[in-house]
Amino acid sequence: MAEITLKNLGHSYSTAPMSEEDYALKPVDLVWEDGKTYSLLGPSGCGKTTMLNIISGLLHPSEGQLLFDGQDVTQKSTSERNIAQVFQFPVIYTTKSVRRNLSFPLECREWEPKKIANRVAEVSELLELDDILDMPARRLSADQKQLISLGRGLVRDDVSAVLLDEPLTVIDPQMKFSLRRKLREINRRTGTTMILVTHDQSEAMSFADEVVVMKDGRVQQSGRPEQLFERPQNTFVGYFIGSPPINLFNVDVQGDSLACPALDLSGIPRGQLEPGALQIGIRPEHLSFSEPTEKGAIATVEACENLGIEQIVSLRAQTGEAFKVKSRLRRKIGVGSQLAVSVAEKDVLVFQDGRLA
Amino acid sequence: MGRTYNIIKYLCLLAWATFVVFPFLWALSTSFKDANAVTSGARYIPWLEFEPSVEGWTSLFASGSRGINIVTPFMNSASVTLLASIVSLGLGTLAAYGLSRFSYKAGFIKNSDITFFFISQRIMPPIVLAIPFFLMLKEIQALDTIFGLVIVYVALLLPIAVWVMTDFFASIPKELDEMAMIDGCTPIGAFFRVVLPNSTAGLVVAGMFCLIFGWNDFFFAFILTFTETQLLPVAIVSLNSSVTPWWSLSAFALISVTPLALIAIVVERFMSRGSLAGAFR
Repeated sequence: MAEITLKNLGHSYSTAPMSEEDYALKPVDLVWEDGKTYSLLGPSGCGKTTMLNIISGLLHPSEGQLLFDGQDVTQKSTSERNIAQVFQFPVIYTTKSVRRNLSFPLECREWEPKKIANRVAEVSELLELDDILDMPARRLSADQKQLISLGRGLVRDDVSAVLLDEPLTVIDPQMKFSLRRKLREINRRTGTTMILVTHDQSEAMSFADEVVVMKDGRVQQSGRPEQLFERPQNTFVGYFIGSPPINLFNVDVQGDSLACPALDLSGIPRGQLEPGALQIGIRPEHLSFSEPTEKGAIATVEACENLGIEQIVSLRAQTGEAFKVKSRLRRKIGVGSQLAVSVAEKDVLVFQDGRLA
Repeated sequence: MGRTYNIIKYLCLLAWATFVVFPFLWALSTSFKDANAVTSGARYIPWLEFEPSVEGWTSLFASGSRGINIVTPFMNSASVTLLASIVSLGLGTLAAYGLSRFSYKAGFIKNSDITFFFISQRIMPPIVLAIPFFLMLKEIQALDTIFGLVIVYVALLLPIAVWVMTDFFASIPKELDEMAMIDGCTPIGAFFRVVLPNSTAGLVVAGMFCLIFGWNDFFFAFILTFTETQLLPVAIVSLNSSVTPWWSLSAFALISVTPLALIAIVVERFMSRGSLAGAFR
């Protein structure tokens, strides 16, 4: 187990990167603390897998350093780093039995047969693989295979970290939930650092202590799930985290403060802002509506989605801006009807040129 | 409709099968003829059209002036083919693994160019290689020896092994090697402990091709040997003198085909077990 530090670490697949565009992973400083669970979240092709492969040593970074517990491992081979990695598609040794699959990493480390047998028994109990230990591995279902991939990582009791590269993609939803819980449980019991790569925000949020959001090879923000939700550092994070995404409104500058005509807000503190494109962002969960009165902003209902316990109402402000409100399901809302919309001032986030001001 | 289709289908298959099997049947029938039966027109069916004789077969194992020595050429052929196939398969598999997993670069030469270089050895007509090979073997005094033939056959079989195995390794997902390395293998360990056990089907196919091409080669065996080291194909052809003993020659040819036929049957069993389907993911 180890603390993993990325020091100005970047990677470009081209031999002579000319501009930032050439980097699959733009140079980044990041610390993965020992024993925590992390999610690496971002759209496809944002550099998540590149970062993971650099940590496991399958890829050598074109610049920067990688430290395990302060030790520079940038040039070390994969086997020396003692990392466990589970790929998107289960990789199993088809010619071996389940038992031999699980014991293989220990055989590579030349453990004694008796110690291997004990350890394999422990791990197979943890993953509930006892019944199929002697089956040929190629006969298993996709999620059993994925469990074995994971088991091969866990069987070493001294792994620096377990890296999971979208391992739940091939698993059916019911199993996904229990596997995710199992991963959390393993993390609690063994204290192994786990890094889960995913593009599914609910998976990321529910799994990890801390979520790292990436886009275009750049780390956008890292923090606890609620931090990402409450204070997204930029509009991309606001958009990517949360469903439906954050609502963005145009604002007018009125001296030292801002006003939002769409929501009839004024006097929003402007702070020390440079000139630039200004917007305010409000989570759909933070907006509320009521029957229209004399005062306040009025918006027209364009659609209403019923999610059982919640509803998502699509509205159009009088300025023509569209936005969404998520609330507890209380009553039927007719399309075309008018509603008054309000928001608490603390929930208004000001973005300048796309960044949280 | 279905019935007519089936009849036509089986007629076509029957015609083709006859076309393929007929030369063998004819050789088999000829091997039991005597001189009279061979020279007096076409006859096919023993007992009905001619009186069978086992002279063709006995002559192969008889001693003395009437005997034809089949054991020595057979053993020569077997040694040369086996040795050359083993060496080619070993070197070829390693080369193919390297070419499929690592990127090499020397100036403008890349992996695909190296693979093509191997294959290009088979593009040239063998006659182009005959004189250089002859002179080189002469230089190292390996003409008319098993050693010399093995060297030449390795040069001929290696491209086949590289070709088949490069293709096969390309079909094995790279994640398998990566996984093995994550599990603690060195790159070489990953090859021997994980990739190779998954490659039996490819090895069998490549090995089969090596054996067939090695066993059947006449040209180089003919040019690079004289009297000491005679291989089977050359020995068969050398029976063809002023009075050709067609019956012995047929028996000889059938014997020389037998090992390949046996291999084909074994390999066919092996492949129909489904081992060829690289069952990953």
